Amino acid sequence: MTALDVGAKGAKVAGVAKKRRPKNSILNALPWIGPALALIIAVVVWPAIELIKISLTKITSAGALEGFNGLENYRMLFENPDLGAIVMRTLVWVGSVVSITVILSMPLAQLINQNFPGRKFVRWAMIVPWAASVVMTSIVWKWMLELTSGEFNLTLRQLGLQDQPVDWLRDPRYSFFVLIWVAVFVSIPFTTFVLLAGLQSIPNDIIEAAQVDGATSWQIYRGIKFPLLRNALLIATIINLINVFNSFPIIWALTRGGPGYNTDTTITFAYKMAFVEYNMGPSTALGVINFAFIMLIVLIYLRVTKATRGQL
Amino acid sequence: MKKMSLRRLSAIAAVSLSATVLSVMPAQAATTIKVITPNYTDDMPAYYADLNARFMAANPDIKVEHTNLSWDDILVKGRTLVATDSTPDILNLNTFSDYAAQGLLYKAEDLFDAKTLADFVPAFIDNSKYDGTAYAVPDLASARMFFYNKQMLYTSGVKKVPSTWKQVTAAAKKIKAKYPSVYPIALPLGSEEAQAEFAIWAGGNNGRYFDNKTKKWVINSKANVQTMKYLTSLVKKGLTQPSPASTNRTDAFKLFSQGKVAMINASVFFPSTLKDYKSKVDYGIAPFPHSPRGKSITLGVQDYFMAFKKPGNEAAVKAWMNFLFQPANYAGFLKAAGGFIPATKSASTAVDSSLLPFIEQLPNAIFYPGDLGAWPKVAGTLATQLGTGVIYSPKSVLNKIQKVAVAAGTK
Repeated sequence: MTALDVGAKGAKVAGVAKKRRPKNSILNALPWIGPALALIIAVVVWPAIELIKISLTKITSAGALEGFNGLENYRMLFENPDLGAIVMRTLVWVGSVVSITVILSMPLAQLINQNFPGRKFVRWAMIVPWAASVVMTSIVWKWMLELTSGEFNLTLRQLGLQDQPVDWLRDPRYSFFVLIWVAVFVSIPFTTFVLLAGLQSIPNDIIEAAQVDGATSWQIYRGIKFPLLRNALLIATIINLINVFNSFPIIWALTRGGPGYNTDTTITFAYKMAFVEYNMGPSTALGVINFAFIMLIVLIYLRVTKATRGQL
Repeated sequence: MKKMSLRRLSAIAAVSLSATVLSVMPAQAATTIKVITPNYTDDMPAYYADLNARFMAANPDIKVEHTNLSWDDILVKGRTLVATDSTPDILNLNTFSDYAAQGLLYKAEDLFDAKTLADFVPAFIDNSKYDGTAYAVPDLASARMFFYNKQMLYTSGVKKVPSTWKQVTAAAKKIKAKYPSVYPIALPLGSEEAQAEFAIWAGGNNGRYFDNKTKKWVINSKANVQTMKYLTSLVKKGLTQPSPASTNRTDAFKLFSQGKVAMINASVFFPSTLKDYKSKVDYGIAPFPHSPRGKSITLGVQDYFMAFKKPGNEAAVKAWMNFLFQPANYAGFLKAAGGFIPATKSASTAVDSSLLPFIEQLPNAIFYPGDLGAWPKVAGTLATQLGTGVIYSPKSVLNKIQKVAVAAGTK
């Protein structure tokens, strides 16, 4: 018997098994996937259906439902003159926070992948902003950036760089950029550690081989590490997209989306409409749109992970 | 043997039956009521802990679950609970009318006897009416006045406390010249209470949110646009703190208490706030400045206690509300809340002399249209949007809010 025969036989056996499977496969699998499926239906599918149902219902400011309302809630939402600017801001928010985070995290991941004394401490310190509650981090920033007594303005004044204190969080000229910075600050640890895991999964022998061939460290990074990091980079980007889009506490704790709607994203805007302005109807419509956007990113995520899995 | 066993069986049944009855009885009689209140001051939780302990001792069949929230939180969380069907039994809030309009509340006359009802200050109980019937009761009220830092005003060469808009601008300019790092006048148009700050300035120019005669929203009236333009001019000249559109009342209070702001519109409880902040500012109180077209007003604001209709809770909420408004308990409430105007006539006779200037202003008081079911929605939009009037065009911002108000209706 040759090796080829065994291979052919194996393929045949596999083929038979494959043929038999479709008949009962779902029923057979049910006991295993059933509990997970039930959970998904209970916490994802059902609320999503409820959300869509409510968005088509007339709803009072005290939350009472008053019957089918067609697309009226959506019409009210799209008639809102501020919606366009808020959608644009949301795109800028997600785009800039995610790209700045990823760009800063790449060198940081390189750094903490090196062997140096105190590495353990640096890694530990880096994880703190992520481990701490986002609201807590936001409040610390709020204090630091406070108008008259914040550490930031005091320091600038003592250095003689400022005559009048700047209102970082309340002045709409600065506040959005401050929010972006705090969001980057909070997102960097997670991203860096995902990239670090990616770096550590690169086999050492490839890098050693390149070194033996005389490649410079930049060439090694460009030619070997970066291409092999692609997977980690994609995952980090997409998870950040979802996180940053959904980010509510940073904006709410620092500016409440104000002044007016000047620092609102579609997430904080939906909340503000419902629970500050008691305008429930259009808020439910925006909730559905936010959900659809997240679904879109998840679909892209699934597509991308499928594609990369095929490659590796 | 057979008989015996039967008897035993019935005995066991009887014992177990009575045991169940015993264990069920108290559970059936006990009612739990959820009460949610805002912290007027940090003394409130301790006050309620004591009140509820005494109440439950006197009413062993009622259990009170009390939640104390900050004002900031109760505005959002209190309303969220109602909207998500976790309605409390009793709520203390600054609006009631949309709940009354939706039939969620007990009438005041179902909760209190005629004598207790007659003891509420008439103006305040009138403001608690929706469609002619009181669905809430006032718990306390505030009036507002113009506070100024005496030392700063006098040392800057301001001879007379400003009483007109023109004098405010002139005084602010003098203070700015003398104290460059001080913000002469605080303008808190942030989302915490922009509707109050603007109502005060507009009121002195005959501007209102709602016209009681024509029953129409008048948010973008000429008087209101003029007011917004005047406020914008103060901002443009650098006479206010930076970014008024996102400065909350609490932030402005802190600035005044630290001597970083010289003039501010503030409420009757502000002196006790200043004491809490351990402020050393020597302040004076005066009526609000007004425009040449108007006269000085004060803004009267009251809060409400309301009880939500739920099966089986009527007796318990009634008992709790009446317990709270017993004169001794209500006096304790006012004391813990810190320097507000009492909502009952009996408590008004014993007020602190520091409240008198505010009570004197009450005949000139304007109130929010709090009796309209649409008011909470309009107030929410005013709160978040008014401030942007000093950033963008005053007229377009007021037009935008007017549109929301008109859509919300006048019921």
